[in-house]
Amino acid sequence: MGLESIGIDVEVNVANRGLPGFDIVGLPAQSVDESKERVRTAISNSHVEFPQKKITVNLAPADVPKEGSFYDLPIAVGILGSVLQFEIPKKSLFFGELSLDGSLRHTRGTLLLALFAKEAGFEKLYVPAESANEAAIVQGVAVYPIENLEHMIAVLLGKVRLALAVYKETALSEVEGAPLGEFDMAEILGQEMAKRAMEIAAAGGHNILFTGSPGAGKTMLARALPGVLPLLSEEESLEVSKVYSVAGYIPPGGSLIRVRPFRSPHHTISQIGLCGGGTKPQPGEITLAHRGVLFLDEFNEFPRSVLEALRQPVEDGRITISRSRGRVTYPSRFMLVASANPCPCGFLNHPKKACKCTPREIHQYHKRVSGPILDRIDLHIDTPDVDVQELAQDASLKRFLESSIVIQQRVTEARKIQEERFVSLREVSRRETIHTNTEMKNAHIKKYCALSREAEGILLRAAQGFQLSARSYYKVIKIARTIADLEGADRIAPGHIAEALQYRPKAYGAT
Amino acid sequence: MNQIIKEDSRYPSLLREISDAPKILYYKGNWNPELFEHCLAVVGTRRMTSYGRRVTEQLVGQIAAAGVTIVSGFMYGIDATAHKAALNAGGKTIAVMPCGIDVIHPEYQKDLYNEILANGGVILSEYEGTFLPTLWSYPKRNRIVAGLCQAAMVVEAGENSGSLITANFAKKFGRKVFAVPGQITSTMSQGTMQLLQEGAGVVTSAKDILDYFRQNSGFFSSLSLASKAGSPTTKKILNSGSNPTLEQKILEQLRAEPKEADELARLFETSAAQIGSVLSFLELSGAVVKEGSKYYVS
Repeated sequence: MGLESIGIDVEVNVANRGLPGFDIVGLPAQSVDESKERVRTAISNSHVEFPQKKITVNLAPADVPKEGSFYDLPIAVGILGSVLQFEIPKKSLFFGELSLDGSLRHTRGTLLLALFAKEAGFEKLYVPAESANEAAIVQGVAVYPIENLEHMIAVLLGKVRLALAVYKETALSEVEGAPLGEFDMAEILGQEMAKRAMEIAAAGGHNILFTGSPGAGKTMLARALPGVLPLLSEEESLEVSKVYSVAGYIPPGGSLIRVRPFRSPHHTISQIGLCGGGTKPQPGEITLAHRGVLFLDEFNEFPRSVLEALRQPVEDGRITISRSRGRVTYPSRFMLVASANPCPCGFLNHPKKACKCTPREIHQYHKRVSGPILDRIDLHIDTPDVDVQELAQDASLKRFLESSIVIQQRVTEARKIQEERFVSLREVSRRETIHTNTEMKNAHIKKYCALSREAEGILLRAAQGFQLSARSYYKVIKIARTIADLEGADRIAPGHIAEALQYRPKAYGAT
Repeated sequence: MNQIIKEDSRYPSLLREISDAPKILYYKGNWNPELFEHCLAVVGTRRMTSYGRRVTEQLVGQIAAAGVTIVSGFMYGIDATAHKAALNAGGKTIAVMPCGIDVIHPEYQKDLYNEILANGGVILSEYEGTFLPTLWSYPKRNRIVAGLCQAAMVVEAGENSGSLITANFAKKFGRKVFAVPGQITSTMSQGTMQLLQEGAGVVTSAKDILDYFRQNSGFFSSLSLASKAGSPTTKKILNSGSNPTLEQKILEQLRAEPKEADELARLFETSAAQIGSVLSFLELSGAVVKEGSKYYVS
C-alpha cells in the first residue's frame, strides 16, 4: 500500500476430498488471480506433478485487496510443501514472481519487503536471485537468492546449502533518466546570473524558474543541474530507493540509488501522471523526483489544472492520494525547476528580434500560471539571449568558467551546514525532518535566520519598494540563508539579502 | 447624445481647416474648448521596445505636465503609453477612436478609457454607435489625430507603421512633424529615421517640443524642466568619493547603455553574486530600474 507494507499470510490447503481445482480467495486482483496459471505451469515444468486435488489459497487478512505478482512463490511453496511433504521454515518470507519455466523473475517492491521483514521480526527472506541485491540493502535479515523453483525445492528439502546474498553497489544504481554530467557548467558561456542562481538553488533545494527567449540556454542550464547537486545521503538514498522499488524502476541486480533523480515530463502529462493516482494509486512524477529534480520545460504550456495540483506537494513535500480503493501517501520533496518563454512568440525584450505579441496575448500567456504557483518558486531568473559565438572567441572569459565539480563541492559544503543546523529538530520530533533551507517553515526562519538590524532594514525597505508578498518576504530570507551558507557565514549580512532580492518574482508589464 | 457639428463654434478650429474635416464629432467626457488650444499628437508603433516606452513616458510626462494636451489613437503600444504618461503627469489627453463612440477598442484597455474620462480628457470619434473598427477606419482616424494638433511626435515606427500615415497627414496639413531618434539597428527605428531624413524635427528632450509650442502657438508655461542627466540619487552616488566604487562604475556603464547583469559581470570580471548584490542596492536607492532583463538608469 503505497510505501507502507502490510503482512499477508498465504494459507494453502490441499484437500483430498472434492473435485480437483485451484482457487484463490481474499480479494485477489487480476494479477494475483492469474497466479494460478503461472504456479500450475511452473510446478509442472519443475519435474513435480501438479496435484489433482482441491487446492484453496487464502490471502489473509481477507478484506484487504491484494495486488501484484509476488504471491507466486509463496503459493507455489505452499503447494509443494503438501506434495513433497516438507516443513516450511519458520520466520521466513517468500516473495517473487514465477516464470512458466519455473524460474523466478525480478520482482518490484523487494526493498520494501525486506524492510517490512526486518520490522516484523522475520529472519529469512527467499527472493528471486535478480532481486536479492535489492533486498540485501537491509541489514539484519538473511536474504537467500533463489534461481528457480527446482532450486527452491532443493533448498527446502535440505539438499543444497544456500549462500547469503551480500549487498554490493552496482553500476546499475543510477536512476534512469538522470543525466549526470550531461552538460558541464564550464561548457555554458555567459548566463552568469543564472549559473549563480543554480548554485544557490542546488545548495538550498530551492525551486527555480528560468524565463528567456528560445535558444537562450534554459534547457541546457537545467540539464546541467544534476552535475552540481550533492550525492544522496544514506537516509535520502533509502527513501528514493523505496519509491523506485515500488514503481518497479530498480533494474535486476540493482542496488541503492545514489544519484538524485532528474525527471522531465513532457507538458502533455496528465494530472495523475504528474501527481500519482489511478484506480490503484501509483506514484507520479513528483514522487519519482523525490529528493531530486522535477524539470518542467515550457512551464506555461502545462495545463493549468496540472500545475495547480503541484501547490500542496511543493509546500508539504508529500502527496496524499485518496481513491475509492484506498488512500496512499507518497513523498514528494523535490526541487522544481521550470523554464518558460517571456511571451507566446518568445522574443519579448529580445535584442535582435521583434516580439509579435500583443499586450493582451502576453497577459493571457502569463495568466496560464497562477500567482500561487509562481509564489512557490523561490528563484526567478531571466536568461537573456547570448551571442555564444562572440563569447566563445573571448578567451579571457575562459578563466572564469567553473566546472560542475567545483560548484558541487561548494554546494555539498553548504548542505552539510544545513544538515547540522536542522539535526536538533529530529530529536524533538521524528516526523519533522528538514534537510535543506527551502523546507523551513516560518517558525524555523525566525529561529535560524537571525537578521542583523541593517539586513532587516534593507529587507523592510525592499518589501515596500518592490511590493513583496508575505511569502516572497520569507523566501528572500531563506535564499539569503542559503547564500550565507555557501559563504560559510554564520549571520545573514546585508549583502546576502541584497543578492537574494535579485531573484524575486518579476511583474510582466502588460496592460 | 454628445456631438458637435462642424459649424459649431466649439468645433476645434485647427481641425476645421483640413479639407475633409469630419462633419460631426461624437465625444465622451466634458467638452472644454481649452483642451484643443495646444495639442501634440504622440503616435508610434504597437510593438514598442522598452526604449520606446521609457522615452514616451519621460517626454510625454514632461510635455503634458507643462500643459500641452496629448492626442493619440488609444491603440496599445506607444499610443496607450502616451495617454497613460499624460494622465500620470496630471496632464490632459484626447483619444481618437477608429470605431463607433460606444465601442472601447481595444476592449481590455477599459481602465485607461475610464481614467481618461475621469481626469478631464475626451474620447472622440467621427463614427456613431457601435460601429466596429475596420482596416480603412484606422487611417481615417489618423487624419483627425493629425488635424487636431499643431505638431506630431512619432516615437517609434517600423517601416510600414500606421504612425507614418499620421505623420504624412500632419505634413499635408502643414503641421510640424517631430521624430524621436532610436538605434539605427532597431526595426522599430526604420520609420522614424525615414522621417528624420525627410526633415522632421529631432527630439532630444521635451524642451524641443515645448520650445516649438512657445514660438508658434503663443504657448506659455512656467514649468522648468529637469535636466536629463539622471535623478538626484544617481548624481549623488556618482559624485561621492574620488576612487570609483563598483557601484559608481556600474552606474557609469548603465548611463552609457542599459545592460544585463551578465554583461556587467563579464565587463568587471566580478562574480554574479556581487553584481547582483550591488544592483539590488542601486535599485533600492532608486538609481536604477530593471526592465526585461536589462538595467536602466532612472
